Amino acid sequence: MIRHRLVIVGAGPAGMAAAIAAADAGLEPVLIDENPRIGGQIYRQPPATLISKETEPTNRAARRGAELLRRFQVQSSRMTVLTNTRVWTIFGHRQLGVQGNQGRETIEAEQLILAPGAYEYVPPFPGWTLPGVMTPGGAQQMVKTMGVCPGKRVLIAGTGPFLLVVAEQLQKAGMEVVGVVEAITTAEAIRAFPRLLEHPTLLGEGLGYLNRLRRARVPINRGEVVVEARGDAEVREVVVAKCDPQWRGDPSGQRTFVVDTLAIAYGFVPRAQLPQLAGCRMRFVNELGGWIPETDGNQQTSVPGVWVAGDGGGVAGALVAEDEGTLAGLAASHQLGALDSATFERAQRPVVRRLHRLRRFRAVLDQLSRIRPGLTTIPTPDTIVCRCEELTQAEVETGIDFGGTDLRTLKVMTRLGMGACQGCMCWPAAARWIAARSGKSIEEIGPLSVRPPLGPLSVGDLARQEGISDRTPAVSLGSSEGAPT
Amino acid sequence: MHSGCDAPEVRRTVRLTFDGDEIFGFEGQTLAAALLAAGRRAWRFTSRRGEPRGIFCGMGICLDCLVEVDGRPNVRACLTPVAEGMRVATQRGAGSWGAPA
Repeated sequence: MIRHRLVIVGAGPAGMAAAIAAADAGLEPVLIDENPRIGGQIYRQPPATLISKETEPTNRAARRGAELLRRFQVQSSRMTVLTNTRVWTIFGHRQLGVQGNQGRETIEAEQLILAPGAYEYVPPFPGWTLPGVMTPGGAQQMVKTMGVCPGKRVLIAGTGPFLLVVAEQLQKAGMEVVGVVEAITTAEAIRAFPRLLEHPTLLGEGLGYLNRLRRARVPINRGEVVVEARGDAEVREVVVAKCDPQWRGDPSGQRTFVVDTLAIAYGFVPRAQLPQLAGCRMRFVNELGGWIPETDGNQQTSVPGVWVAGDGGGVAGALVAEDEGTLAGLAASHQLGALDSATFERAQRPVVRRLHRLRRFRAVLDQLSRIRPGLTTIPTPDTIVCRCEELTQAEVETGIDFGGTDLRTLKVMTRLGMGACQGCMCWPAAARWIAARSGKSIEEIGPLSVRPPLGPLSVGDLARQEGISDRTPAVSLGSSEGAPT
Repeated sequence: MHSGCDAPEVRRTVRLTFDGDEIFGFEGQTLAAALLAAGRRAWRFTSRRGEPRGIFCGMGICLDCLVEVDGRPNVRACLTPVAEGMRVATQRGAGSWGAPA
């Protein structure tokens, strides 16, 4: 086992900002990320071998990313950055089981900052398992870091400003974007407008996307939801229906788009597994994407010495993530004695002020794009609701009606959430749906129980002697190495 | 087929096979990117219903894009970089261990 004073998990904007703050305070933080390159989903750069001639950041978000990466580079000699390295469990509160290309290791952190980020929320609808149906973020990564268009004709649907960002990127990359379908009605968007003036810069950014899409003749359709994707081997057409303010589809107001790609998501879900494994007390906040750890004003969770920052602690976007990361980095450094109280308070003050203003803006957006109960009415009895175990709505409904109204029971009865994704994909929608059907609150139903290993881990890898740089396996398991979880 | 966008000038080609057919990727690309660029949309058939699956979340969470690589099943195409001579095969159900076709 290795001991480190400060370990940060996740190298997106929150984790990077935390590492910078800690390095500025004179610490030597360890930063762990499962991806091959830092930056998180938002700021990750293409691999050096794929860098295109376009090097100037093209929009404000890209410029912010470039600036954060630059500040990170300045301090990087003071940090240990472990990419391609995954935390597969947490022992106790702050002992991390990590797995990298070169072996595994247990790292004990005196202070631990978790910045795991979020993933996109796609509630089930008929046809959502067809190839060609993917998340906007998945499509974006293909175009942005891989230089590959995932299809030719795409419809982008769901809710939230991220859809506009992806629409522009896919369109610029050469895909035909037949439209953006946003569930929020025009009337509701207009009503929220004055409150969004709180942060004119961010509002302006959003309007910029809308204007550019309009100029590119990409229609934006509001107050509509996708009710079905059709096709045999892959998606061929997508059925969209007008919806009410609760996002229930109106069967009489339907139309069809012919596409080969559907990029769809209704916001994001915080990746709560690591805080849960660390023993943090969790709470459900619909507006922030789901179950999140309780935190104090400095991002500390209910477990002393465990901090959370960024979307993993409640979805609020890259700007909030960066400030929360800075705050957690400063506070953890203060805990470790690297910053005296006066310096800490001085450094923290402007960040807290900025965060306060950003969060007020975000609160309006969050309220606007909160998940509405109507989405649970879209699947039909034969719609698959658990992608891994291929369970239909009818099958799971039978389980609910026979008493499976909490995760554990339902899982045992139906296998819902037992598959390879460990419930990440099905559970956020299933919990809402159980709530609707059983009358229980989401809190009563509870969060998904987390069992290590997080993600697939081979028996061979587990059997290897500890030592991240030790390439010699202690036990040679031959071909059984790499067995699935 | 879909690889038209944003092509940088110098990229090193990597040759691999998918179900015995030769396909190309670029160094640094993921397997999912190379498969999509080759016009493939599905590279797994599910256990229970035999339905096709391809890329979904694109960030290693959904595990829909599992594929067989060099005789090893359950490899995430969205996270795995392409390599010269890689033999990739459609995964059926839980997949099979051993030499691919």
